[in-house]
Amino acid sequence: MADLAPSAPLLSVRDLHVQFPTERGTVNAVNGVSFDLYEGKTLAIVGESGSGKSVTAKTLMNLLPRTAQVSGEVTYDGRDVRALAAEKVKHFFGVQMTMVFQDPMTSLNPVKKVGEQIAETLRYHLGRSRSEALEEAVELLDVVGMPEPARRVSQYPHELSGGLRQRVVIAMALACQPRLLIADEPTTAVDVTVQKHLLDLLDELRRNRGMSMILITHDLGVAHGRADDVAVMYAGRVVETADARTLFFDMRHPYTEALLRSIPRIDDPVHHRLDPIPGRPPELIDPPDECAFAPRCIYAQSDCLGGVPELSGLVGLHRFACLHPTGTERGMAAMSSNRAAGATAAGLPVTGSGGGSG
Amino acid sequence: MARFVVRRVVLLVAVLFAVTFLGFSAMNLLGDPLVNVVGVLAELDCEGIEAGLVEDTTVDAASRDCDTVAAAKAQYHLDQPVPVRYVLWVGDLATGDFGTSFQNDQPVSQVIREKLPETLILLVMAQIVSLGVAIPWGVIAAYRANRAFDRGSTVASFGLLSVPNFALGVVLLYLLALRWQVFPSAYEGDNLGGLVFSMVLPAVTLGLPLAASYQRLLRTDLITTLQEDFVHMARAKGLPPLRIMFRHALRPSMFSVITVFGVSTGALIGGSLVVEQIFGIPGIGREIVTAVVRDDFPVVLAIVMLVACTFVVLNFVVDLLYSWLDPRVRAR
Repeated sequence: MADLAPSAPLLSVRDLHVQFPTERGTVNAVNGVSFDLYEGKTLAIVGESGSGKSVTAKTLMNLLPRTAQVSGEVTYDGRDVRALAAEKVKHFFGVQMTMVFQDPMTSLNPVKKVGEQIAETLRYHLGRSRSEALEEAVELLDVVGMPEPARRVSQYPHELSGGLRQRVVIAMALACQPRLLIADEPTTAVDVTVQKHLLDLLDELRRNRGMSMILITHDLGVAHGRADDVAVMYAGRVVETADARTLFFDMRHPYTEALLRSIPRIDDPVHHRLDPIPGRPPELIDPPDECAFAPRCIYAQSDCLGGVPELSGLVGLHRFACLHPTGTERGMAAMSSNRAAGATAAGLPVTGSGGGSG
Repeated sequence: MARFVVRRVVLLVAVLFAVTFLGFSAMNLLGDPLVNVVGVLAELDCEGIEAGLVEDTTVDAASRDCDTVAAAKAQYHLDQPVPVRYVLWVGDLATGDFGTSFQNDQPVSQVIREKLPETLILLVMAQIVSLGVAIPWGVIAAYRANRAFDRGSTVASFGLLSVPNFALGVVLLYLLALRWQVFPSAYEGDNLGGLVFSMVLPAVTLGLPLAASYQRLLRTDLITTLQEDFVHMARAKGLPPLRIMFRHALRPSMFSVITVFGVSTGALIGGSLVVEQIFGIPGIGREIVTAVVRDDFPVVLAIVMLVACTFVVLNFVVDLLYSWLDPRVRAR
């Protein structure tokens, strides 16, 4: 079906802004995010904590606190999601789109049996009887690779390990065959040994069921090989977005480059020093009118401090918000002039050996 | 589980010993029980009379005053020191003999059998009223936290908490029994229906202030629970808000309420003294007031013991409720 009509995206987000009024001032958590997600595809949203990726996900699922101020358009299959949420339309969230949370230790209700928690969705949305729903819960647990599913349904979350709990959460999310699954750091809180299993499981389920997925992570390595498209977020904006191949091998934004450099690689020599990104993410209250990454960027020039760079190009193409993109002549020129000066326009010291294209 | 129960029973026995010993000593040391049995005769110096040092003032030659005193002393073991009397009392208790009321020579066990059911019904109804009011009230307040309803109920609950129960009782009695005549103004204990019906106002009087404190606790705990990831998860599953409140958030938020439920029984029994007076309910509360005023210490002791028992048993029930509420408690 997707082959016949690939034209309209399943989920389309345009110019999404989210603000939280606080006592210290308004936090600009998301500042104009736009992306498209097509049926059966995976979009990875990558960024540090505080980049606005989780807030974006929560906005899509209508999970923000009431105080949040949201503007922009979120369209799912031609329908305005925020209007659906406001009208309290039944059987949309949980059936069409659903979400898997970061921490399986806290995202299951501690006082309910896991079987009940899975069955509950089936009973409410699909009108299954208690016994039918429990049978389906066993099948779902089997699908997500839970050992002894028939016994597990009558166990409580505290009787399961983190990895098994996350399988329960995934089974719960899959119960009503959603078309879109938002996975918010689905493996961050589980043991490293289990992470790959869970990610592969999610990927396999997505392919088998023709689901679309938004995979939110701080780890570009997680996105690699699993995402069709990647959007890199920084300070509430998408700073670079492209298909995965382009983004990993021909990135333009210095932040994407810096993120990739900060990941340890298996083929690095032993005791190889990672390149951490200097400095910290900016405050989201009253951000200065400049490229948010400029203070940490080794390419920064004076024009970077003169305003927030626009995301270039059309939605769906390789887009980046940088005046001196890495891998281009402008970027090379910026880098060499900063090296010559020993510091960037924002005052970050640059040594001859430190990073860059060299 | 078996160990748990055994520990509780041991605790119950220990508490009963402590409470009755304190009560027994207090009643005996603060007043002379002999006075309550024989009246002014207790003042007689019988030893002096026997020795011929004091003149015997007996009017009726058939029964000498000092014989009466001696008989009373023997009957109530008043010639023994207090610790011995306590042991004797406990021994009687073990055989189901609560002693005899000084007041009217009725066995105390009979007094309790007559008065206890009324008070128990009152207490149970008061708790039903308070939980029945507090749970929906707390849920709605937490669901719309810091909105108009929540702010209004904060004021209302502090209002209810600061109104003394005799005032609330009188107001309810005036409005609902006298003015609008919804409920009977006099106690009707002939049949169960009439009894329950005439207990409604007293139960509301006792239960409403308690509902206010339950509501405060439940609201706060619910607001905390609503921040939990599993509530977000339930929302992501597309469940409707009220279902999330009652099926997911309520149970893990009941701990404070359940704890106070156990402790509040003492306050309720205290309150029932007043409320039983206002509404003319012939219950334990009225009985203990009379008994204390008249130093009728077998009755007082029996009631004190009963209250202590209720306390320990109720807190045992509360512990069972904890483990029913949260499976993680069961595992320990």
